[in-house]
Amino acid sequence: MKYDAVIIGSGPAGSSTARFAAEKGAKVLILERRAEVGAPVLCGEGVGKIIDDFNVLEGKKWIAANMDGARIFAPDGTMIKLAAEMAGDETGYVVHRDLFDKEIARGAVKKGAELMLNTVATGLVKEGNKITGVQAKHFDEDIEIEADIVVGADGVESKVGRWAGINTTLKPYDLETCAQYTLTNIECDVGYCDFYLGKNIAPGGYVWVFPKGKDVANVGIGVLASLSESGMALKLLNKFISEHPELKKGQPIRFLAGADPVGEPTETVKDNLLLVGDAARHVDPITGGGLISSVHGGKLAAETIASAVEQQKFDEETLSTYEERWKNAFGKKLKRNYVVKEILLEMEDKTLNMLADSLKDYKFEELSTLSIVKALVGKHPTLLMKLKPLLKLATT
Amino acid sequence: MEKPKAEVDPKKCLACGGCISVCPQDAITMQSSKAVVDKKQCISCTICIRTCPIGAIHGEAYA
Repeated sequence: MKYDAVIIGSGPAGSSTARFAAEKGAKVLILERRAEVGAPVLCGEGVGKIIDDFNVLEGKKWIAANMDGARIFAPDGTMIKLAAEMAGDETGYVVHRDLFDKEIARGAVKKGAELMLNTVATGLVKEGNKITGVQAKHFDEDIEIEADIVVGADGVESKVGRWAGINTTLKPYDLETCAQYTLTNIECDVGYCDFYLGKNIAPGGYVWVFPKGKDVANVGIGVLASLSESGMALKLLNKFISEHPELKKGQPIRFLAGADPVGEPTETVKDNLLLVGDAARHVDPITGGGLISSVHGGKLAAETIASAVEQQKFDEETLSTYEERWKNAFGKKLKRNYVVKEILLEMEDKTLNMLADSLKDYKFEELSTLSIVKALVGKHPTLLMKLKPLLKLATT
Repeated sequence: MEKPKAEVDPKKCLACGGCISVCPQDAITMQSSKAVVDKKQCISCTICIRTCPIGAIHGEAYA
């Protein structure tokens, strides 16, 4: 059977692509290597409420808890509180990612997408130079799926891009290596997602505590891979928990390892092949959050797919509309945040402490560059020099 | 002596995919939800070993 598009991976990016493409009449198939959509979870499970605008999730079962905001703890413990709307794309809901992914996939199927579990994509089918489909293994059976368009939604470890000649290899400087416990029987503040910074806490990353209920939370860590040694993320996470009595008394009901791309987006269109989500590195390089850009990018990819199907034109030029559109929608922000990531990584703990001390009483609703600068420099004049690159970025 | 090649402990691996994403040789694949190193491709750079968050990758031991 021939499909308009075959999508490799049933995560939020793959399922959103499938949903919006199917809704516009395209015949699409999702391949999932695992036996269950959304499991095991590989995520901190924080997402901004702007997710509601995409209408890919019905009901409320996928929501674990509602967040009022975020609290950022500097290395010396100084805390800055941000309202949810100021705290970016990762604060709003803490979700059950297994149910979240299943709900997006269910919506895709309802719109007409097909979904095949236990199916590992192993390569591209080509006629000459032209990609004509995907080779896959369904349990032990080798199969070939014919399609006009191939979509790689195969996550951080993406192979699909490499098969088409897109270099998706990450430099260790562009990967956060992560570990996370879901701890129960702890004490946590349900309304806030907490972030802990410091080079002794999480080199090049942060520790997070995302509450899923009054006595249960995801407690995780990301360490920049270029600063990591074997097993460092887990060791530092255990250390953090042992030093926090309110967490130490808890017990884990889930443990996971994770990998989060914090590089710049890759090329996303090659001939008749597209990349979406983590495979496209559509992740905020500062926070590591990628759910919103995965769903948004999936929607844009789907609109391009639908229009290509309508015209029956599957060349790179037609499909590159997708790349233009995501660059306009969120590519600029990702690029800017990559520069901010580089600046933040250069900052010493001392600078972060001064920053937090200057901002701890700042009312973030009056947010403007000038008022922040006044708050910062009024208290710690030496910050002005250290923040020069950031200010330059803010005013260009 | 040749440098040891990377080896994944399948009992520890939680299939996060980090090692695959940073391997400069594209030598690691996910097989039945475990990362597996193709030793013919591995150049012993140790990037995957240092990247693994839970210490599931080590240098191959010689008998």
